[in-house]
Amino acid sequence: MKSQIVSRTFVRLHSSWAVTACSITLLMCVPGCGSTPAAWFRPNMVEATKQRLTPDQERQVATVMLAMFGTPDAPIALPETGLDEAKLQLAAGPVHSDIVGRKNGLYREHCAHCHGVTGDGLGPTAAFLNPYPRDYRPGVFKFKSTERSDKPTHEDLVRILHNGIPGTSMPSFALLSPPKVEALVEYVKYLSIRGETEIALMRAFFELDDEAQGKLPETREFLVDEMLTPVTEKWKAAADALIAVPEMASDLDLAASIAKGRELFYGDKANCVKCHGPTALGDGQANDYDDWNKAIVEVSKEVKSGVERAGETSTSGMDSEALAEHRGQLAWLDKFGRVLDGGDALRPRTIQPRNLRHGIYRGGRRPLDLYYRIHAGINGAPMPAAKGTVPPEEIWHIVNYVRSLPYELDGELGADRPMVAKDRF
Amino acid sequence: MANDNPSGGSSKRSRLMGIFWSLLFLAVPVLGVAVFIVAPWYDIWLPKDVSEHGKAIDGLFMFILALTGVVFIATEVLLFWFLWKYDAASATGPAKYIHGSHAVEVIWTIIPAATLLFLAIYQMNTWADVKMRRPAMTPSVEVVGRQFEWRLRYPGRDGTLGTPDDLFLVNDLHVPADEDFLVQLKSMDVLHSFFIPNLRIKQDAVPGMKIPVWFKATENGEYDIVCAELCGWGHYKMKGRVTVESRADFERWLEKMYSRQEATQPEPLSAAEGAAVALTQ
Repeated sequence: MKSQIVSRTFVRLHSSWAVTACSITLLMCVPGCGSTPAAWFRPNMVEATKQRLTPDQERQVATVMLAMFGTPDAPIALPETGLDEAKLQLAAGPVHSDIVGRKNGLYREHCAHCHGVTGDGLGPTAAFLNPYPRDYRPGVFKFKSTERSDKPTHEDLVRILHNGIPGTSMPSFALLSPPKVEALVEYVKYLSIRGETEIALMRAFFELDDEAQGKLPETREFLVDEMLTPVTEKWKAAADALIAVPEMASDLDLAASIAKGRELFYGDKANCVKCHGPTALGDGQANDYDDWNKAIVEVSKEVKSGVERAGETSTSGMDSEALAEHRGQLAWLDKFGRVLDGGDALRPRTIQPRNLRHGIYRGGRRPLDLYYRIHAGINGAPMPAAKGTVPPEEIWHIVNYVRSLPYELDGELGADRPMVAKDRF
Repeated sequence: MANDNPSGGSSKRSRLMGIFWSLLFLAVPVLGVAVFIVAPWYDIWLPKDVSEHGKAIDGLFMFILALTGVVFIATEVLLFWFLWKYDAASATGPAKYIHGSHAVEVIWTIIPAATLLFLAIYQMNTWADVKMRRPAMTPSVEVVGRQFEWRLRYPGRDGTLGTPDDLFLVNDLHVPADEDFLVQLKSMDVLHSFFIPNLRIKQDAVPGMKIPVWFKATENGEYDIVCAELCGWGHYKMKGRVTVESRADFERWLEKMYSRQEATQPEPLSAAEGAAVALTQ
């Protein structure tokens, strides 16, 4: 009898615990059990709206993009892209270990929170950063060893990943293993080629003749040869498009070179002073935008003036055709307003000319890097190319002057205590 | 069934509960001690100490661990003993009430106070060595915490920071072995904490302050630098590496990095690849 009670007690204890444990496990499981929704590439709504694409046309672009480039979890690299699909696999998808135990999903682990899954610079942290993270889709990169309009080389992108971009929120990934860096660089190229092809497709609707009935031809000739290849050719050409840098004269007197560089800095030919300011603190012209922000500023203006015009328009005298057009315009303005205010664009910011006294060089501090920046300008930014106006040996003078700026004693302010400018500003 | 035999059944069950709870509480000190005993075999003990001052810090840690360990075990065993002995099922007599004991209260106040006072005085010398007796030298390197990386600046050949021959690097700190090494620690944005577990170094980096941190590394090798102060969403990946090497290797490395920084021509591809490997191996 007693043993019966004992065992029963245990059974009762056990069963009540089992029920509790089960229900807790179940509760914890319910939200986690459903698999997360598959990642998707966000369509370039700013461009689509700018090109006044119809919903059908937007759908066609999305379908074509899916066929040509796949999804963030399963990217496709057509042979024409010249991309290595094995590298893309390593970078793509959610963070997980693959069949041989390698870590996959590097892009989402290291890059996506700022640059976004799509590479549109619209990741969750993007709005909090200044400058905004790069949007790869226009295919424009700032810091490279090629001419202004050329693509960066593979090594240029590797270098950026190694060094980060000081002065921005881009950190260094110097301690990632080379295969991982390679995979990430390949994936950035993939996102960029994808983005540029998407833009090309959206713009192609404008060129269509009446026969096409507002639909892009879905042929290999059109999609690959006419749309994709022009983009990938530029990437392939980059490796052979290095800027030839003449050696700095070996017998160059540094002080004399700096003095000449200073003259050029303030002179009309190079005219660095216009933006970088008379004190080189970056306090010159400061009301300009970079290309990414400028694009948003321009469409915002268009929408704003369109809205104003629409507000003043009276529909009383319109015939049915004009009325339909007016309604179409209103719908377009409404849609564009929603695209700009929604998650597809960040509030535009002006670009600051670099403060050259800080000694922080975003694209690298090697004299070579500064030579590239001055020679080719900075693509996407108002910094113009000196190539053609300033001969190479004079570019070296400017490089030497710019490199001396953080350490130049500030006579007026530092008269009482010698201090290098770098520590002051 | 309990209803059929109310007194016997419930007292039996109550006694069982008493045993269960007593043993459960006894498991705390037993498992707690067991974890410490097996820790070295599972590599979950302190990381290898490769610094000169680390011995003193580890010594203090072990001493305090032993002290608190003894008190912990005694308290837990006492708790078990009370649970066991004064189980309501067996201890059926009336409870006794006491109204405090001056002597006992004095004892349990004085002993911990004396212990704390002893610790405070006993650790002073180590604290001074690590945080106050800064070696008389100019900074060997400036480390700047930034979301989410460690930016480094070596003073270059002239030994002075803020001159044109400074060497700028990121995340890859090199240190000569068996020499005093003085870090000037800064932060560019928010609070970070410069933590090198193997060197027993942990110091907050505070925006607006230059904080000196020093150590003498005693063993060549590569060790982690991590951020030990939640500094933002990327805190967990704010990782660097410290390489302890001989003076000669250190000098060679500085030269190599400096010549790379002063490059006026692109490196040949193979060398650039080599550099990538050297940076990341």
